[in-house]
Amino acid sequence: MLLVVIALGFSVAIMTSIPSGITANQISSQNVAQNLSNAITQTEATINQTLTDISCSLSSGFTGYGFRPGGNFGYSFGASVMNESIYSDINSISGVTAVVPILQVSEGNNETITRFGRTFTRLVPKYAIEGIPLNSSLISNYPILPTSIIAGTNLQGGKSGVVLLSENNTRYFNVEVNDTVTIPIGSQFTFKVVGVYESSGVGTSALTLYMNLSDAQTITDNAGKITSLEVFANNSSYVTQIANAISSLHPELTVTTAQERLSRLQSMQTEYNTALQNSEAVISQTQTTALEEIAVTVAATSLIVLVVMLYTVRERTKEIGILKAIGFSNWNIMSQFMLEGVLMSLMAGVVGIVIGIVAAPFLISLLLPHINLSGALGFSRPGAFAGTSLSQPVTIMVSPEMILLTFGAAALLGAVGSLYPAWRASRTSPMEALRYE
Amino acid sequence: MSELVLETEKLDKVYKLGGRQVRALSDVNLQVKKGDFISIMGPSGSGKTTLLNMLGCLDKPTYGKVILDGVNITKVPEKGLFKIRKYKVGFVFQTFNLMPYLNAIENVELPMEGTKKSADEKKKRARELLKMVGLSEREEHKPNRLSAGEQQRVAIARALANNPAIVLADEPTGNLDSKTGYEIIRLLGKLNIDQGTTIVMVTHDNNIGSRASRMLFLNDGKILAKEKQGTHIMKKELTCPNCGREIQPDDTFCPRCGKKL
Repeated sequence: MLLVVIALGFSVAIMTSIPSGITANQISSQNVAQNLSNAITQTEATINQTLTDISCSLSSGFTGYGFRPGGNFGYSFGASVMNESIYSDINSISGVTAVVPILQVSEGNNETITRFGRTFTRLVPKYAIEGIPLNSSLISNYPILPTSIIAGTNLQGGKSGVVLLSENNTRYFNVEVNDTVTIPIGSQFTFKVVGVYESSGVGTSALTLYMNLSDAQTITDNAGKITSLEVFANNSSYVTQIANAISSLHPELTVTTAQERLSRLQSMQTEYNTALQNSEAVISQTQTTALEEIAVTVAATSLIVLVVMLYTVRERTKEIGILKAIGFSNWNIMSQFMLEGVLMSLMAGVVGIVIGIVAAPFLISLLLPHINLSGALGFSRPGAFAGTSLSQPVTIMVSPEMILLTFGAAALLGAVGSLYPAWRASRTSPMEALRYE
Repeated sequence: MSELVLETEKLDKVYKLGGRQVRALSDVNLQVKKGDFISIMGPSGSGKTTLLNMLGCLDKPTYGKVILDGVNITKVPEKGLFKIRKYKVGFVFQTFNLMPYLNAIENVELPMEGTKKSADEKKKRARELLKMVGLSEREEHKPNRLSAGEQQRVAIARALANNPAIVLADEPTGNLDSKTGYEIIRLLGKLNIDQGTTIVMVTHDNNIGSRASRMLFLNDGKILAKEKQGTHIMKKELTCPNCGREIQPDDTFCPRCGKKL
């Protein structure tokens, strides 16, 4: 009896786990899709507004793209530092209205990943420091700081010793507006938190804290150094000309125009779409498999109940005979056995739900090998999302609704499975049953 | 007291056994009056159990009528038979057939399931019956903790639960040693006298069968014409002629005054 209940319990566990897994998979994919489309929309919009923007940085062996909240798109990871004196050369090119030197340093752990047979080391950032000259005319005229402030104020021109944090940063450092935050790089430095911006973007943009360039250079031990330059043209028709001038002046720089970024973005968008489509195909395939598996489980559950109840009825033939001889009606006997079948299934339901809650991830990985809960989509370009977390891994949750549903299903299957055995029991001839030993 | 409780008319039962027809009963005419204690005797295979099954609605005759308490039960549809089994008939079996997982009192309450009695009424009635069969002390015991004789007493109490018109006993002493067998037959005799319970008992044991008030003989499915008076002791004889107190039918000495009876 115990074994039967446990066996049934496994069937029920599968019934509980599979839909939970499917739900989790859908949530995971939806998260990814949502984040992707947010990122694309946001970046596209900003780039369209600032077609005059040109990014310059030193080429480095590691290529990693990242989004910045202003929609700027540049090399941010592992970028080499250069002397900020380069600023004056570029500022003197005709048509250039502003040059913003930037120092960006990411802090985090290095992680080695292997993809497509190649090994990459990537930095999983905990936070990124971005130093920007807090010059009133620069920060008010050019999109270099986040705009969506949700607490406190944005950085003001001429300030020092202050930081603007992302929502993620406030959680990581466990601070609020007007608190003092300690940034542990080498020796420790403290800053006053003036404001918090909405971390709606993906990747490092959600982890970037902004401060004065000179502060950033001091705390990261990069006096006089920068990692990139944002160059703004006074008219978008000069952009190409200026980019060429920068390249000929400083061939070691990688120069990216907003136009180029846009087209790169578009190609990435295509990639996202392909990935999404693949993922949707996998989901629909998984759903088909899941439906088949659930059908098999449902059939198996009823069948187990049927066989067990048939055996029980046979074993208790004599008892049925006695009950009939002392005046139990067919209906009394039938309902008795039906009730037993349902009770057995309900007990199995309890066991199954417990197994389901404990072992759902394992069962799902066993039964639905295609399912993807890590939130990662199969991108074809390694490193394309280095350091970005497009979605949080989704944990499989057996919801209360699912538990109720499973209970209902167990009771129903118990009733269905014991229908025929109970009917047979009720039809037993009392005389023959009494003779049965 | 001449009211008929049970009557059969030209009762026939034919079985088919491997293509061969076996006539288990032929032309059985039986009349049982209210308050009768009848034993039906015969060798094994004579059709005793078949007859009893027919009387208790466990089996249908091939031909003929069974009229139980004024109802022709051969005309009652299959669906209605359970009511007759429940309210008109009490069965006592050779193998006791108690529910092993129920205790004595629950076994006695079992036939009252689905009647209009409340739980308290059922319990009260079951207590009363267990007292009647002398098992007041054993109410909570399960069958495996009762002796064979005690189990049969519980079975008798169960048979009486719904106050049936007739008690049908199929070899009630067949699984008991002779001493316990006597106790059971004495109990049946006492119930017959004290409660006026109508009893039809089937047995092949002459010592047991002779304790009824009427003995009928069945051979090859036919009731033989010879009918004997049993040694069933009537109520007046159940008091000690010396001290006037109650005695059991089989006592040779009065348990109270010690005088030989």
